[in-house]
Amino acid sequence: MNEIIMMGHVFFGVACLLAALWVFVETLNASQANQTRIHRISCAAAVCMWIAFFIGGYWYVTSYHADKVIILKGPWPFAHNFCMETKEHLVIMLLMLATYLPIAAAGNLSANKDARRVVLWVAGLVALLAFTMEGEGGVIAMGVKMGLLAH
Amino acid sequence: MKANLENTGVSQYTRSFGLSLALASVVNGLLVVAKEKSPAVQAGMQRLTGNHWVTHCVVILGIFGVGGWLFARPNGGQGFRLATNRLIGTLVAGVVTGTVIILGFYLIGD
Repeated sequence: MNEIIMMGHVFFGVACLLAALWVFVETLNASQANQTRIHRISCAAAVCMWIAFFIGGYWYVTSYHADKVIILKGPWPFAHNFCMETKEHLVIMLLMLATYLPIAAAGNLSANKDARRVVLWVAGLVALLAFTMEGEGGVIAMGVKMGLLAH
Repeated sequence: MKANLENTGVSQYTRSFGLSLALASVVNGLLVVAKEKSPAVQAGMQRLTGNHWVTHCVVILGIFGVGGWLFARPNGGQGFRLATNRLIGTLVAGVVTGTVIILGFYLIGD
């Protein structure tokens, strides 16, 4: 069950990343035809991020301790000491950015260059941070594997 | 000279929540340092919700939400007057500062 929970966390995190990239590209080509789609996908990015956050947060609070012990005893203690410690705090900024994205995308992007620029920056930051979170999550998972293989 | 027929400026909520996000991002980084360096702060945060990380999230998301609402109130509900370049600069600076504080602390300071 733990593993299914974790896969759900990763799935919704990747979905948020892809949605942010979609918003970025659509905003570069903003028009009346894609205005509604941009707003809907930005809302989807926010919803996916909140789901990923709650799943990950639940697992972190209830189940991560066992993995932490394995990581710290293994050859990759940095997987916890750096990657998890930074991930659990950087993700809060990602959550705020993803929540802000539909707020910024609510304007008339096809007619408003300023609104487009804000959305491009926010969508870009969401994608960049989400990618970083995915990478750190991968290292953390590998840290558990390395710890298990070492013993 | 080509006339610029596009609308300019962003909504008061885009400005207010953008400013609030920048502020909350910096506070996020500073709170990490405070709780990791001070056992008393971490213990207090642990007592509030049972887990210091949960308390941390509640505090930062609270600053973001309340700040976004508050910063939209000035000027008769129009929010702070802020050029879009300044908004984007403040937003990016806040996120980068928060990120640098967190990464720097765990790389060097912890």
